[in-house]
Amino acid sequence: MSRGGRGGGGGGRGGRGGGGSDNPWANDPNLQVDGRPSELFPPYNVPVAAPLTKKEEKQVSYFLLFREQVHDGPLYTQTRTSNVDSSEPTRVYGQEQINKRYGVKNKATVDPFLAMPTYSQRFIKQERALPDLASRPFAKEFFPPELHATLEGEDGPAVVGGKRRKLNGKKTLALSNITTLRTAADIFLPEMAQQDQAKAMQLLDKLGDEDNPDDLLLDDDDDWVRTNEDGEEAADEEDEFDDESDNDYNAEQYFEDGAADEDYDDGGDGGGEEYF
Amino acid sequence: MKVTKDLAELCALLIDEIYGELPSRIFAVLLNRGRSSLGQLGQYTSMTPRQLRHGLAVLIQQNLLYYYIDNDTKTATYEANPEPAYNLIRTGKILEMVESAHGAPVKDVMQSLLLLGQTRVSDLKAAYEEKIKRSTEGAQHANSDLDMVDGEAPPAAKKANLPVKSARQLNSIICRLAEAELVDVVHGLTFASPEDIQKDVEERVTRVKFPGGVKGGKGKTEFEEAVAMELCKIRRESKSLKRKLEESGATAAKRRKLLNGGVTAVNGVNGDHDADGDPVLDPRQVIRVNYEKCLVELRNRRLVQFASEMIGDTSSYVYGVVLRQLTKKVSRCHTDPNMDIGDMGDEDGTRQPVVTTMEILDNLPTTIDPSNGLAKVARSRINKLSAEAVQPNPPDPNKIPFLGGGDDEDDDESDESDVEMNGKHESEDESDKDAKSGVNGTAGKVRFAEPARKEGRVDMLRQHLYLLAENRIPFIRQCANEQWTVDFTILVQHLREAELDAVIERTVGRQGLRLVRILRKNGKLDEKALPSISLMKKSDVQNKMLEMEIAGFVDIQEVPRDNSRTANRTIFLWYTDTDRCIHTLLNNTYKTATRCLQRLSVHRRKEKDVLLLTKRTDVKGREKDVMQKEYYDRFAKLLEVERKLLGHMMRMDEMVAVLRDY
Repeated sequence: MSRGGRGGGGGGRGGRGGGGSDNPWANDPNLQVDGRPSELFPPYNVPVAAPLTKKEEKQVSYFLLFREQVHDGPLYTQTRTSNVDSSEPTRVYGQEQINKRYGVKNKATVDPFLAMPTYSQRFIKQERALPDLASRPFAKEFFPPELHATLEGEDGPAVVGGKRRKLNGKKTLALSNITTLRTAADIFLPEMAQQDQAKAMQLLDKLGDEDNPDDLLLDDDDDWVRTNEDGEEAADEEDEFDDESDNDYNAEQYFEDGAADEDYDDGGDGGGEEYF
Repeated sequence: MKVTKDLAELCALLIDEIYGELPSRIFAVLLNRGRSSLGQLGQYTSMTPRQLRHGLAVLIQQNLLYYYIDNDTKTATYEANPEPAYNLIRTGKILEMVESAHGAPVKDVMQSLLLLGQTRVSDLKAAYEEKIKRSTEGAQHANSDLDMVDGEAPPAAKKANLPVKSARQLNSIICRLAEAELVDVVHGLTFASPEDIQKDVEERVTRVKFPGGVKGGKGKTEFEEAVAMELCKIRRESKSLKRKLEESGATAAKRRKLLNGGVTAVNGVNGDHDADGDPVLDPRQVIRVNYEKCLVELRNRRLVQFASEMIGDTSSYVYGVVLRQLTKKVSRCHTDPNMDIGDMGDEDGTRQPVVTTMEILDNLPTTIDPSNGLAKVARSRINKLSAEAVQPNPPDPNKIPFLGGGDDEDDDESDESDVEMNGKHESEDESDKDAKSGVNGTAGKVRFAEPARKEGRVDMLRQHLYLLAENRIPFIRQCANEQWTVDFTILVQHLREAELDAVIERTVGRQGLRLVRILRKNGKLDEKALPSISLMKKSDVQNKMLEMEIAGFVDIQEVPRDNSRTANRTIFLWYTDTDRCIHTLLNNTYKTATRCLQRLSVHRRKEKDVLLLTKRTDVKGREKDVMQKEYYDRFAKLLEVERKLLGHMMRMDEMVAVLRDY
């Protein structure tokens, strides 16, 4: 009803005006409407930023080095508790929803592939959930009094029997050992070099004491074994581990390679021992 | 510093990137909610008080917060300090600047200070001593074992190569940094927010000097002056280290002279001189990095770059020397309206610093040949009067076209002077061009005098200075005979305009930029007048103007000629509001920088498994040897993307610095 009325009105006005084709709503026979759908992803000329100049490269490197050093220091907290998934919309309304994105630990957030303790987790650096304030000195007069205990590292859960960790003596600031960006020599060797050097010195002493090559060899072996036990990480062990990890889940190896199967069957106890 | 939503987001992301999630969450909440106490923070963030206390301690240590302690309840309220948080983005830039200006050892100390936050001098010394001791031990080991253990010698030897070699050197570096004001002292009021200080001082002044209340216009100005004086006193507190050094009469220049004198003497004497030259710093002093002064230095660099773009390399070197001399006493880019009123005759007063030609000459490195980049023009072609004119007063900032209030006559006047200047400028440019072509050996329009004609270094230097003064952009001003100064506010306005122009050109093209410039010069223009002025087709102009309106560079005002408000009885006036454009651009720049960081975190999430692997202690540092190739490739690609994104973020920061901080 109403549609008809409107149409009539329009037609009427058009009729009075005389020139039907002047009106935008009149059907223009000459008008060719491009009925094709517009391209979904029309070609778009994406502007590309100029490559970094030498100076900018340097600035970026310094920034990265600085970041690396901070991350290495006691004030940094590694733990990330936010569980923002890129597949979900990230829009949030209000602080409450923002807070809900952090520190959630339930069955849904556990990664089943990493939740099971594995051998390689030995090598994962322990993450700190809180900054390690006790390890460095502070200029305490510039902090509000309510934070002083925290700065001393005494702001922990109440410990029974006073087993609280307390660092005695003067604390010194630690300057970062990282002096260059991502090179093996600087991140690795400083910590290990000294231990290893001490070991090497001992070995040399022994070499000087007794000139028996057999003894020396034995000693050498013993020492290496000890090193493996004592040291935080030893080269041999890692390499061995890496080789294994490459093939850990290589199922084909177990099922397609007939030889391995036979070995397993025939070996019986011997094979079992190998796994222990 | 006005904190917009995008800036708040950016600051939180920067803290997250550098100091971790815990401080970043607290900082974000503080920015959003304003000052809060521990209890309130707990409510807002639903974190435990222990977490909060640790996070707050980190934030205060890095100077990212203000706090206020209530005298009655002894509880503290915390407030975010967005400036240092934003300045984190500049870390790389500042370190690079310090290295190029002062050398690698100074950069190392600066980096340690940035890393450690506010630091007691004694603690810093102990840390360095510890490091030096360790490295010398390592070096000794390496030396003794050099023959036997080849594999371990290189890293140890490399470690011995420390940038700072002794505690004494550290001391002199800190002195140097303090004199350059790059480092200042933390004092009792460092962590009080400016508003608190202002309120406090006002109350005190009222109590002491105006017990009966402030009355009348005269009383008000007196009150303001008294407040400003007190505020200045507080501000100068942070420069106490520098003042002490100056009072002890051992400025860097003197020390250097002593050292130079000592070179000829026996080595031991030299060492004594060194020890004498550097006053031993009070070990209880707490120091931190002064970003304000860093910004001044960065501004100098940017202006030199600007001069080199506009005029030429040699002139820009000269300009660099001028700026270095002038900004020795400039502590900050912006004057504080509350403090710098009237004529404060102190070290950071508003009196404009001045530099003489001879001073510039003395400080010009001998490696720079001032005869480059200059042409010799016949004397008859130079209008000596106007070229060497002395302008004792800075030009009125209101007369800069886009700052003009809208008084038409005023605008016209400035236009005329602009045209005049342009005319001069052209000839100058020409001669400059000729100079360059002359160097290449092609003959210019202007006859060159033979290079054999000797001209003193001073004369050539003077020519460069005139070149700088006469440019369309007033780089320097001759305020008295042979005395030069720089009007930073006006100059930076030009710089901002240039930056905005570049953006407009990239967004809407040359035609659009031309139209904007026409509007800037003429103020408001009728829609019908615009095509005839711009010599463009009416439809072209309309399309371009609409495009620019959408982009936000121009706007339209409707003035109805009668009450009916019909379109044909209405005047449409186009205009451009440069200040608003700059604000919009600034906010968009924040947003872009934020996107860079967000993009980075998306990339990190995508390559989560690779990153997890590289963080392992047995992989970190030797990724290439240990990781499988496809994993390593992914990792390398991520690093490359990271560099690109961070580089882009720093470019954005360059723009923010120009638009806001300089």
